[in-house]
Amino acid sequence: MTKRRLWGTTVAVGLIAILVNVPWFNTLFVSFKSDGDISRGATAAGTPTTDHYANALGAAGYDFPRFFLNSAMIALGAVLLVLLIAIPSTYSAIRLGFGGRFVMNASSGLRLLPAIFFAVPYFLLMSNLRMLDTVPGLILANTFLNLPLAIILLSAGFRDVPIEVEEAAKVDGANTYRILYSVLMPILAPSLVAVAVLVFIFSWNDYLFALVLSSSNATPITLGAANFVTSTGIRWGDISATAVLSTLPPVIFAVFAQRYLVSGLSAGAVKG
Amino acid sequence: MSTRTTSRLSKWVLGSPLIVFALIFVVYPVYQGIQTGFYSLSLQNPDTLFTGLENFGTVLTDPGFLAAAKFTLLFALAVTAIETVLGFGLALLVNREFPGKKVFFTMLLVPIMVAPALLGVMFRLLLNGDIGLVPEVLRGVGLDVSLFAPNTVVPLLVLLDVLQWTPFAFLIMYAGLQSFPSDVLEAAQVDGAGRLRTLRSIVVPMMKPIIFAALFLRLIDAIRTFDVVYVLTAGGPGTKTTTMSIYIYKTAFESGQFGLAAAASTIVMVVLIPFVPLFVKRIATPGAAE
Repeated sequence: MTKRRLWGTTVAVGLIAILVNVPWFNTLFVSFKSDGDISRGATAAGTPTTDHYANALGAAGYDFPRFFLNSAMIALGAVLLVLLIAIPSTYSAIRLGFGGRFVMNASSGLRLLPAIFFAVPYFLLMSNLRMLDTVPGLILANTFLNLPLAIILLSAGFRDVPIEVEEAAKVDGANTYRILYSVLMPILAPSLVAVAVLVFIFSWNDYLFALVLSSSNATPITLGAANFVTSTGIRWGDISATAVLSTLPPVIFAVFAQRYLVSGLSAGAVKG
Repeated sequence: MSTRTTSRLSKWVLGSPLIVFALIFVVYPVYQGIQTGFYSLSLQNPDTLFTGLENFGTVLTDPGFLAAAKFTLLFALAVTAIETVLGFGLALLVNREFPGKKVFFTMLLVPIMVAPALLGVMFRLLLNGDIGLVPEVLRGVGLDVSLFAPNTVVPLLVLLDVLQWTPFAFLIMYAGLQSFPSDVLEAAQVDGAGRLRTLRSIVVPMMKPIIFAALFLRLIDAIRTFDVVYVLTAGGPGTKTTTMSIYIYKTAFESGQFGLAAAASTIVMVVLIPFVPLFVKRIATPGAAE
């Protein structure tokens, strides 16, 4: 009886899990079909081909390899900058009284405002700084977009560390910086991984700021792929291969860092 | 130097990266964003002229702005309601051990990780009239409908949003259920409460803050919807699916009217800001979720 009910759950959850991923599976399927098979309809299938992947990776002379590289630099740069700013300042806010509740309230507030509000100001700002259509410009923009969540998550992490740990280190003669970098950061490694993974994924996935702040040199893959699809004469096989490849970094991260990610996403929702 | 002075100094040393970044990349843009709304700044006309509240008046009487506001609100309310209910049901369903749980749980996370813009590209392929799977299946059962027609496009977008973001609502509430003390449930069982009764009298009341968090997060994220809709319909047909974000984007970067776009942004912000303390108080305070 119990066993049968559990298999029922498996079937129900499995169907839902497949249903929400139909767009992805369909794209994966198309990415291995020849152009001829694609034009014969959605369910037509002949011998699989990897041509579209070769094209996406540069064989057809598209700019996709450069878009991938731009996305990687923007996402990794944003991760680095977010951590460099968020770790010391959040520690200072939680333990040393820097900014009091203001830092947390402002972070929660910024997390809730639509990004579009900042599109015009950021366009003007980057234009003034001569950073339009540059990778550093997009790194800074994505740092801004992700800093609030990082501060919210890290503050929860710092609060969870017992104060006795720091007091013990102080007795041993460690100063504030030493405590932060040699004592607290190793303890907080799981939180730091959660923040890094989330910032990477959200920066990799950004489209709005890419659309506003880049035109050709700094174009990331989200914008490159979407532009490709709206131009005339869509090559669906190549675009499918590109879409599959572009979703792999976030999805791989999601699979391998699942534990951190789940705790990070849910803590970001309910703690501050 | 005494320890006390070091600690007082280190507070500012450690906080300084945030101060510098926030001044340049938060405070100044916010100031400039609000200020731009009071000027006639546009791509065509680089001479900025102080126009006072004119932009705000223009925006508030623009039928396009009001239509976008109405569409955004109705769309956000619809998807939030559906996703919270489905997500809660799914969380209850997954909140037990069953064969294949790990694999399916991971699969449920994938839609959250895929870039909305790339998902838009994938939907275009899936829904394409000539080579898409969905139209082919619909033709197979005798339905020859144009999915992007004015009367089907809105339900279509709602459905697509539900497909992508129900997993997020699910995840928040699943994490909440996981931290649920199991002895409470056992006690209820001992007392002879049935499944439905337990759900109604114990699980739902105790999950209230989490359900509220999921609702709120989905609502504010749905209000800013841009990527999928822009890639799929660019706000059309006509202006039927123009969200607030698409309206502001088009005003600024297609019509080049920065002053108007900034005014519209400020109006949206002024409407949304009162909800921030509500969120901070009800959810984002330590202990509120426990």
